[in-house]
Amino acid sequence: MSGMLAVCQKELSTYFRSPIAYFVVAVFMVGTGYFFSYNTFLTGNATMAETFQNMGILLLLVIPAVSMRLFSGEYGAGTMELLQTLPLEPWQVVLGKYLGAVAILLLMTAATLIDLVPLYLFGNPETTTILSGYIGFVLLGMACLAVGQFCSALTQNQIVAALLTVSVLLGFWFVHDLQSFQTSYALRGLVRHLSFSLHFGAFIQGLVRSEAVIYYLVVCAIALTLNASYLEWRR
Amino acid sequence: MGPPSRFSPAVMSPAAAVVALESVSKRYGTKTIIQDLSFTVGKGEIVGFLGPNGAGKTTTMRMIAGFTTATSGRVTVAGYDMSTQNAEAARRIGYLPERPPLYDTLDVSAYLRFVARAKGVPRLAIPAELERVTAACRLEAVYRHEIYKLSKGYRQRVGLAQALLGTPEVLLLDEPTIGLDPGQIQESREVIRSFGEAHAVLLSTHILPEVTMICRRVAIINHGRLLAIDSPSGLQRAVEQTNRVTLQATAPAQPLREELMAVDGVRALDIHAAADDDRVLSVECHVDAREGVEAAIARAVASRWALHRLERHQPTLENIFLHYVGEAPAARGAA
Repeated sequence: MSGMLAVCQKELSTYFRSPIAYFVVAVFMVGTGYFFSYNTFLTGNATMAETFQNMGILLLLVIPAVSMRLFSGEYGAGTMELLQTLPLEPWQVVLGKYLGAVAILLLMTAATLIDLVPLYLFGNPETTTILSGYIGFVLLGMACLAVGQFCSALTQNQIVAALLTVSVLLGFWFVHDLQSFQTSYALRGLVRHLSFSLHFGAFIQGLVRSEAVIYYLVVCAIALTLNASYLEWRR
Repeated sequence: MGPPSRFSPAVMSPAAAVVALESVSKRYGTKTIIQDLSFTVGKGEIVGFLGPNGAGKTTTMRMIAGFTTATSGRVTVAGYDMSTQNAEAARRIGYLPERPPLYDTLDVSAYLRFVARAKGVPRLAIPAELERVTAACRLEAVYRHEIYKLSKGYRQRVGLAQALLGTPEVLLLDEPTIGLDPGQIQESREVIRSFGEAHAVLLSTHILPEVTMICRRVAIINHGRLLAIDSPSGLQRAVEQTNRVTLQATAPAQPLREELMAVDGVRALDIHAAADDDRVLSVECHVDAREGVEAAIARAVASRWALHRLERHQPTLENIFLHYVGEAPAARGAA
């Protein structure tokens, strides 16, 4: 446990001693702010639904910037040799790094709360719907980060890691569009269940479905397990 | 730990073995990097690890450190098998890779604190532990500096400090003095030497005098095979059956040759005029590698002519190294 926390703390220091954390949070705030003002002030609806939808897509582009360095950076700096020879199990390294990245995600999420101030000042929004949207957003972000961290473990090159992550995440986001091409009922169901955006859409509408929660958590678990096994296999 | 009896005494360390390699091989695909490597490092012993670039030194270090696993054979550290009890063994190892594994954005104190925590140093003991390695590696001046700002010498020493954290039983150092200035080399050697008094140290290096200075035994490898392992003086004896004696004397060439060839132990001669004075002859004799030959030569020459200078040349570690690595690897088995 303490080994994992040491890795987590190291990740957080690295994020905050380099421009990444500040840059990512700033970009995300500006992007979200833009979408929020566009969606809310132009339409005059006191709802976050459209904004959440845009935040989801923005997340697909911002997450790789957070996750790309997690392992690629270690390979490049030669520090993987340290991490793998310290008395740390692979799962401690993987979870420690993941928790560090999730902390950045939570910070990004918290920064968008500022948009709620005008919403509550000038409107009468549905708090439970907003809450469920945020739950969905954090779960989506966690799944994206786990996928991104695994992609980062696969290559020494951070750019390749980022591009790989964006490709995989876009695949998961749009996979439900394949259902028009499927004739079998089972396959249609499958691509619908795999879709990041359909599950997220339910949260935006105020539905916290156990099916969606479990789906995101399973994606995290699979990606992190693959990540740890890959590190073990690399030896 | 009971090592197999086929180990020759030279391969076994005299003290209790802390690191033991038994017939270790490492292959990547069809390429064999390490082949049937066996040796041990004992407690209180510094073993020098010599070999040309690409000989397999770094791969061997990585296998002992647990960064890669052996394809066959067994690596044990403090009795723990690296292939099954990696984490237990890792607690007992301090490892400085060839390229110091540093996080550039962290400052030295944050970096060392991270390594100490990851090594499981108790939280309350961490400040004292950081102070100890900082003093040992002379890092006080850069303790709060970010690592990317440090010079190569300091980076190397931060790497060494990291390896010393937690007082490991085994210290693996892959070329620890590269990039240091002469003063820093001296200090680092002192750190390693004093650490080696009570722990097991395996030190790979290109600097041959370093090995003679601080290592009790030397292992020479090439093409992934162990060519020799012995004390530096043992290696010297093993390598040269003949020694070289050079002398200068004022004497006629032919009688001098006859006189010298009559001395027991002299095998061959090469006589030519000295560069600065053609009355003086320079002689190079190849003699048996045993005590007393040069004294017999001195007596024979000095009894008839004027002997100006006489010198016996011992093989240097450089010659020994070249002797071993210059040979076809298949021609010679493990020492």
